[in-house]
Amino acid sequence: MASKDGILLRGAPFEDPAAVSSRDASAYRPLHTFELPKGSEKHYAHQFADMYFVRLAQLKEAVKQKAHEAWDAFELAGDKAKYVERVLDVRQGELCWVIGTVYMEMAMKPNVLDDISKEHWIAAPPLRETYVSSSGTDDMMLEDESGRLRVAGNSLNSHYVTGCILAALGTEQADGSFQVIATQYADLPRQPQRWEAEDASLTVAKQSAPKREKAGKLALVSGLDMTGKEEDDVTLDLLVEYLTGEAGGADQSSASSIARLVIAGNSLSNASPILSRDDFDVRKGAKRNYGYDSSSYNATPAEKFDAFLAEILPALPVSVLPGETDPANVALPQQPLHPALFPLSRAYAEPLAISNESLEGLDLVTNPWEADVEGWRILGTAGQTLDDLLKYVNGVRPLDAMEMMLRWRCIAPTAPDTLWCYPFQDDDPLILNECPHIYFAGNREKFQAKSVKGPAGQQVLIVGVPKFSKTGQVVLVDMETLEVETVKLGYVKPGL
Amino acid sequence: MAEERYREYLADRVLAEGQPITYRLLSRALKVHVNIAKQMLYEFHVEQTTKQPKSVHATYLLTGRERSSEHSNDDNAHNGDDTAMRSSPFMSSLPEPENTPESPVPTTSIVLVREEELEKTKSEFEDITSIHVYSLEPGPIENMNLLAVCNQEIASNYASGDPLERWRVYGSIQNPYIKRRTTKYAPVVAKPATKATVKSTAAVSAAKEGTKQAPAVAAHKESTPEESKSGRSTPQPGPAASLKRLDSKTKAKKDTSVGNLFKSFAKAKPKAKEAEKPKDEDEAMQGMSEDEGDADDEPAVKFDEQKAAAARKAREEREQKLQEMMEADVDMPDAPTGEKTSQDAPIDKETPSQPVETEETVTVQGGRRRGRRRVMKKKKVQDEDGYLVTKEEAVWESFSEDEPEPKKAKPTPKSTAAKGKKTGGKGQGSIASFFKKA
Repeated sequence: MASKDGILLRGAPFEDPAAVSSRDASAYRPLHTFELPKGSEKHYAHQFADMYFVRLAQLKEAVKQKAHEAWDAFELAGDKAKYVERVLDVRQGELCWVIGTVYMEMAMKPNVLDDISKEHWIAAPPLRETYVSSSGTDDMMLEDESGRLRVAGNSLNSHYVTGCILAALGTEQADGSFQVIATQYADLPRQPQRWEAEDASLTVAKQSAPKREKAGKLALVSGLDMTGKEEDDVTLDLLVEYLTGEAGGADQSSASSIARLVIAGNSLSNASPILSRDDFDVRKGAKRNYGYDSSSYNATPAEKFDAFLAEILPALPVSVLPGETDPANVALPQQPLHPALFPLSRAYAEPLAISNESLEGLDLVTNPWEADVEGWRILGTAGQTLDDLLKYVNGVRPLDAMEMMLRWRCIAPTAPDTLWCYPFQDDDPLILNECPHIYFAGNREKFQAKSVKGPAGQQVLIVGVPKFSKTGQVVLVDMETLEVETVKLGYVKPGL
Repeated sequence: MAEERYREYLADRVLAEGQPITYRLLSRALKVHVNIAKQMLYEFHVEQTTKQPKSVHATYLLTGRERSSEHSNDDNAHNGDDTAMRSSPFMSSLPEPENTPESPVPTTSIVLVREEELEKTKSEFEDITSIHVYSLEPGPIENMNLLAVCNQEIASNYASGDPLERWRVYGSIQNPYIKRRTTKYAPVVAKPATKATVKSTAAVSAAKEGTKQAPAVAAHKESTPEESKSGRSTPQPGPAASLKRLDSKTKAKKDTSVGNLFKSFAKAKPKAKEAEKPKDEDEAMQGMSEDEGDADDEPAVKFDEQKAAAARKAREEREQKLQEMMEADVDMPDAPTGEKTSQDAPIDKETPSQPVETEETVTVQGGRRRGRRRVMKKKKVQDEDGYLVTKEEAVWESFSEDEPEPKKAKPTPKSTAAKGKKTGGKGQGSIASFFKKA
């Protein structure tokens, strides 16, 4: 049933173990797309409206082109559809198409003004699972620089979210709403070739491309949710032992083909020293404490995470994305976790003063994160963008939502409306300029993966990385064939 | 040499002390390849169970493919009620991607299982690529997470040495590309101390092969953090703070975990105390702490009363034993028995559980000392089993005092702590009342 050397159920004499396998090399080129300017260069006083303008301006051409292709020959009852530059120029009864940003007016959607009035409320409204109201009174608008147009159409609401750029074909009705027949979006942007950037820099340097070895695997994990309690310790231990190739028998060497581990957010289950509003009230009511209150911050989870990384790092380079519950800034793009959190494992990272990239060792990156690994373009998030988007729609599978984000060319369409975000001014890195080969989102309920194709032959592997604390799963992506497999770690509950 | 020692080590660890041991901890303790450690565990398990069934309990690690009945990729399992985004009529211009049922993603399962459930779990596997003993413990364990104690032990006791060289000994995967900076402020916990004890225990056990006592020492490393703490008095200026914090941290963690174990295997307790002793000695011999003289510098270690009593009893026993030992092997050059007891004394005397000051930052301003200091406080918590667990926690508290009395403050930690708190309250109260008026 099983191969001989996998079964280590044998005793003395102890054979000398096979030679230790060494780790495959990891070709890695960080892109720093989502890094914010440092220190005083960071301005939070800007208006968020600019983000929408930038987004519309950048994506308008692409959407227009798609719409032209689709609708130039379109005729309805002898009327030819024509393009209208501004949404306010739409004339009643005229078949036309316009381009604008979607805005969803939803009763259940959190409102900034609520935040202010919350101060006067007795109880704050609870966090919503979804923004879709049950009564079906949600409205969809299309807006551009000139104004807004109310959009009507069959079940439009369940397919679009605030912030995506759209071309809509239809006619304005007597009540002023725009009856939509069809829509178009920008679709996947250009996809770089594998090794494109590396080859380009080699050509500049007048060198011939090196012979590249067969690439290893990329391990994706998210939601370690370290609590500092001793609940999931064994599963985490197993993860360490699996990745360092100590657990198992004959399959130890298979772990050596993993060339990089990516931790996609939520490594700590609750690291925020900032109290929630309720907790804060409770504490304020209690005894007054001046100065630092040691009971408000528990360092154990962070120390455990540090020790966890320090165990893995001698054997494997690790990239760590911050997530919703990690001690990083909350607004997207989240900046790398600070090395001060990792007194043990930061020895494997380049010191910040010298370089902000560690090609091998501990690599603290942003969320979202974009990089070239083994020549492939990889884009990943810790999952907040997807979570927020899914609140706008009903019954949409997460993988499809991820696909739509790529096709809309917007990684975080709902930012800054319902997702906290840095107020970008002139350029929005959350707009997708180049199509990735692998797009993953962390902290999913379960593992999912699919491959989608674009109009120009782009092919993207979309992966939903499950929460490790719930499923015990690690996702492995073969970086040669882009095939996916999973490794499940766990234990049989005693007594079952 | 590891081949001969493993039996004793395991017998002491599992049978005598009733502690679980994983293959990983065994490989660290004996410095052998992990795969050999797995085989040692198996060999030992077979030996013991043939001698006496049920004397040792094993957990196994299974690797393989589970039967596909519940493949994790139930992606297309519930398509029924979901509206796929792309099926909307508005995207008709798109080439509708065919809804291909995706081939199930290959899943490898790595499962930790007790020997009771082994056969059943095996039958659920389609294909087993490897199986080995993961850990041995004296009896069936109810909570697998108890095994995590072993890895914590590795982290605290075997952290010494270059991690990049580990693969040579233990056989983990080597990454030839990774570099490690050696930082000036390496916050590694009490490296020299642990190393010393490991080495010395090895030496001791080599010297007194057969006496059964020696490997117990090796096994009982829990006590090392405490030891190293009391051994290392505080004069290092900069990194001391972080070091100490880590120390107390690991200790607190350890306390709870070990406490759990002790509860389940209560008889192991006196032995633990016993085992601690010879190690003390080793440290003294190594001359780890030159300035042990000024006792007021030393962060006092507290035990609870129970422990203290046990320790006192154990000390007497130990003295006796030492006597014997001294007579037995003459080649142990300098075991300073008398001095040892005197060193132990202050620790035992300070056992009452008042907060003990460990460290402070003080500013003297206008005749008043203000600052914050770390204080060890006891906290009783009821755990999920209904046991009362006493934890020590380091707590920062601010204080301000009237007189800068540096000498007096130290020897009577209790009174200063109390006073500090009280006066602190008063001093700040005045500020508060000032604001109230305003």
